[in-house]
Amino acid sequence: MSEHKNTAPGSKSVGGSPKKFHDLSVAVITKRDDHGENLIREIQKTRAKVQHIWPIPEEIPTDFDIVFCELVDDLPSRFKGVPGSAHVTFIVVIPANGTMNQKVLENSVPHAVIHLPCIADEVLSAMIVARSHFQYERRLRQRIEKLDDNLRSMKTIERAKVIMMQTKNLNEEEAYKQLRRRAMQRRVTIGALASSIVDSQELLG
Amino acid sequence: MLVKEAKTEEPWRVGVLFSHSGFMAVIEDTQLRGTLTAIDEINDNGGINGRPIEPVIYDPGSETAAFGRHANRMMVEDGISTIFGCYTSSSRKSVLPVVERLNGLLWYPTLYEGFEFSPNIIYTGAGPNQNSVELCRYLMEHYGKRFYFIGSDYVYPRMSNKIMWEFVRTNGGEVVGEQYLNLRAKPKDFIPVMKDIKETQPDVIFSTVVGEATSTLYQAYMDCGFDPKVMPIASLTTTEAEISDMGFDVGEGHITAAPYFDGLESEANSTFSARYKKRYGADEPTNMCLEAAYFQVHMFAKALEETNSLDTDLLRPTILGSEFEAPQGKISINQGCSHADLWTRIGKVNRGGRFDIMYESKSRVSADPYLIGYSRSIAF
Repeated sequence: MSEHKNTAPGSKSVGGSPKKFHDLSVAVITKRDDHGENLIREIQKTRAKVQHIWPIPEEIPTDFDIVFCELVDDLPSRFKGVPGSAHVTFIVVIPANGTMNQKVLENSVPHAVIHLPCIADEVLSAMIVARSHFQYERRLRQRIEKLDDNLRSMKTIERAKVIMMQTKNLNEEEAYKQLRRRAMQRRVTIGALASSIVDSQELLG
Repeated sequence: MLVKEAKTEEPWRVGVLFSHSGFMAVIEDTQLRGTLTAIDEINDNGGINGRPIEPVIYDPGSETAAFGRHANRMMVEDGISTIFGCYTSSSRKSVLPVVERLNGLLWYPTLYEGFEFSPNIIYTGAGPNQNSVELCRYLMEHYGKRFYFIGSDYVYPRMSNKIMWEFVRTNGGEVVGEQYLNLRAKPKDFIPVMKDIKETQPDVIFSTVVGEATSTLYQAYMDCGFDPKVMPIASLTTTEAEISDMGFDVGEGHITAAPYFDGLESEANSTFSARYKKRYGADEPTNMCLEAAYFQVHMFAKALEETNSLDTDLLRPTILGSEFEAPQGKISINQGCSHADLWTRIGKVNRGGRFDIMYESKSRVSADPYLIGYSRSIAF
């Protein structure tokens, strides 16, 4: 079997590649001065759809793919829920001549940071890195959620098993077998079935 | 977000990562063949939405770290996001961080020890609840309760034996010996093990020896004059490929649990077998790892037809919950855990080097990689 390696130029598209940006919606929350205009133009070069927002809203919107927002002192308190709960790719913009409060920057948990005035390619590189981190974080969260789910299910199944053993006079192995069979018949997960058994038992008191 | 693919006849490029050299080639080469058989079949039928599938093939040469390196090269240099590959758990674990960080999709067509969930892997081989549970029950019923464990020295055999050990113990059995040998073990390395088996006289030898060493184990067993009728070697990994490598007479009478065996009677299997044997020779047997390598490409193709994009974020949700008429029977990718719901079968090697089916599940068995629906407490 021969080993072929043909790298077609321009076909690279892994992770957050530039060619994907033309479908993204981007919010830019900055003053619309020369630096702000320049930033918007740079983002538009990636062919993403840009919406400018100013002044900074009480709550940082999350219905965009990427949000650029100027660093202000109360930025961390303008997030819905917990900052950095990974609803949106978030890039902090440090204004020109502004002071950079390190603590505020840290608490704003951005996926990337850019400084105004932005230089060519800085915006694109920040978008690529931020998008990639955001998506990776989201995948890891999914994985953790799944594992948490498994742990919860184990506990619930354990309780359902005991209920089955007591009410139907089954041994442990038979109880598990029945749980598996019923879950399959009803086309639900064994965790979901166990949880409805536990719930109905609790209703009966 | 929607990725629009322009009208084009440019091929869909996918990565293929199985060893065709080194001590794992005996089985991984068949997985490579299964993958290519499916790709040819798809391309002969006009490809996917008018575009052929083009495999980019690298040979990791049975070296664990090479799997990760090649996966990285595929994703970073070749711009590939979908990869078919890996046999050993160590090789999968080497590819896992690459596909997770760069958002690739690895299709893994091999049985393994379970207890993993990656959002970037589709698992199409059997987990412990789809092979070990029934195998343990069958062995105890037909041969006895004294087990001797012998495995290759890497992650899968040790994990797998831990699980089997629990099954054996909770069913009133006992493990009378446990030995691990180097993946490159030579005949002389098996001599002390066989001596120990002679002394302990187990009812069953449970083997998780993989690759070339499989033949060496079965040969050493035969050389000692043991009788498979009273003390068979039972395995989750010895397939038609290994039996063909060791010789039918050496393999005869031994037991394997698997979702698929060569010669199963179904329309899907006839088509698959005929196609495979036409390409690789009438005497070339199929096996469970080859079958999974084959059907997973078809499942990928079905999803790709729908998404018309290789974007992992589009492909994965399309694949989860999908069904396919595989050679082993109708299977599906479990929505909840991205492992395949598969059939359980137990086979005994006959004189012709094929397996006679001794047990078959009534329907496909839902994937449960963490064994949450089973009573044995698995402690790690």
